[in-house]
Amino acid sequence: MDSKKLGLWHSAIVGSAGFIFFVGLWEVVVRLGFIDPFFLPAPSQVMERALAMTTGKDAVLLNDIRMSGTRVLTGFLLSAVVGVPLGLIMGTSRLVRAFLNPIVSIIRPLPALSWIPLSMLWLGIDEQQKYAIVFMGCFASVLVYTIDATLKVDPLLILAARNLGAKRLHTLRFIVLPGALPNILSGLKVVLAIAWTCVISAEMVGANSGLGFRIWTAKEWSDTGQVLVGMLCISLTVLVLDIIYRVIEKVLLPWKRMS
Amino acid sequence: MSDILIRADNVSKVFHSHKEDVEAIHDFSLTVKKGEIVCIVGASGCGKSTFLNMVAGFIQPSSGRILLEGQEITKVEPRCGMIFQNYALFPWMTVIENITFGPRLKGVQKKVRHEQAKQWIKRVGLKGFDYSYPGELSGGMQQRVALTRALANEPDVLLCDEPFGALDAMTRQAMQQELLRLMYKSNQTILFITHSIDEALILSDRVVIMSARPGRVKAVFENDLPRPRKLELQLTDRYLELKRKVWSLVEEEVVSALGIRKG
Ligand SMILES: Nc1ncnc2c1ncn2[C@@H]1O[C@H](COP(=O)(O)OP(=O)(O)O)[C@@H](O)[C@H]1O
Ligand SMILES: [Mg+2]
Repeated sequence: MDSKKLGLWHSAIVGSAGFIFFVGLWEVVVRLGFIDPFFLPAPSQVMERALAMTTGKDAVLLNDIRMSGTRVLTGFLLSAVVGVPLGLIMGTSRLVRAFLNPIVSIIRPLPALSWIPLSMLWLGIDEQQKYAIVFMGCFASVLVYTIDATLKVDPLLILAARNLGAKRLHTLRFIVLPGALPNILSGLKVVLAIAWTCVISAEMVGANSGLGFRIWTAKEWSDTGQVLVGMLCISLTVLVLDIIYRVIEKVLLPWKRMS
Repeated sequence: MSDILIRADNVSKVFHSHKEDVEAIHDFSLTVKKGEIVCIVGASGCGKSTFLNMVAGFIQPSSGRILLEGQEITKVEPRCGMIFQNYALFPWMTVIENITFGPRLKGVQKKVRHEQAKQWIKRVGLKGFDYSYPGELSGGMQQRVALTRALANEPDVLLCDEPFGALDAMTRQAMQQELLRLMYKSNQTILFITHSIDEALILSDRVVIMSARPGRVKAVFENDLPRPRKLELQLTDRYLELKRKVWSLVEEEVVSALGIRKG
């Protein structure tokens, strides 16, 4: 226990050292003129830019994060709310699975980007179109991850439940769902990353807010600092979501918490 | 009606696989009376689990039939409560949730079923572990939860498929005594599979010895060792005599199952 804690501190310290080292190196290399700040501004310049984007009169950054975040979460949650129950049913019923499999196989390989033209035709460039892109990019993956997770549930546990009097719906609710949940959650984590790719792409093509839009316009203006700020914000937002996700996992899977 | 609870009539089971057909048991007949503890002993692979799975309704016989109180078993039958060798506890449910699972499905009120479960937990010595998850318990404790989960569902017959097989020798003997203690004068019908002759002699009212695959009834005898049966029983002459008798019957089958010749 103690040694494990020490190990954690140890890696935290080494990690911070590594981070500081590379950021410092970057700063020095730019300051000494080895790199033209037009192509890669120094960390301090990026921070300056970030400050200007969060405070001054054109403080757009927080709003961008909020817009992108909302689009990601809305599309992602929609795909999960539809995909997980459908995946559970497909996973437990051979018939439904056989019926829907061809459609899923056709939709699944399509990159989210390929949905952009159709979605713009149908929905314009307002928020619903963003949600739709994320949804289409995520939905089939949610299905496949859920079906896989369902099929991995120990059949002996299903038998044991039926032996104790469980009917079909009981089995689904008390055995298949909780048994598949750990794998569903780790699948959804991958899907959440897909959702980000979808949103950033969608925002680059047709939007007037959001981190993807901000990065894209910055490039048009050759504002490299703003490009980097946008990228940094994507990283940070994903990191924060990751932490939240881990907390949710801990809450939903109390039985996985033991040593 | 009659006091026969389970009746297997000329049951055979053939498994069809892509390579070959395997006949697991052949023309197997057996009756179990209410309140009786019957142990089935046989070499590994002789079809013991296959038979028990048919009684539970997990699989259907290829021919013949199995009756529970005169009714043919055609689907999974909750009145035949099964205890699995590897416990099959639900890892995401606490001990008390596992135990109350059956009553919960039957619609027993939460307060009532928890009250009953607490009684059980006390009786099997798991007090303080009510809200532990199975993964936090030792093998012996997990098996006690599995036993309790089955009993709390009040089955007509308790089916045990080598339930103590995965436990170490000491825990295993302790669990046998535990089962005897819980069942003493309870009149619970039990169909118990084991490959341990000692286990069969300690637990049973009657021992059924199966032949090597395809499993048939090779011999049946009444086990009249006096109850309650403590561990010291295993040192008595009567016990050793019975053990010798069973072993001589089982030995041939084990040898034939292994495919080696005597001599
Ligand atoms: N589902 C199955 N498919 C094919 N063969 C099986 C199946 N279940 C059991 N068998 C075969 O039937 C025989 C008896 O198995 P089993 O009843 O598990 O034996 P035991 O429990 O006595 O060790 C074995 O040869 C086994 O390989
Ligand atoms: Mg077996």
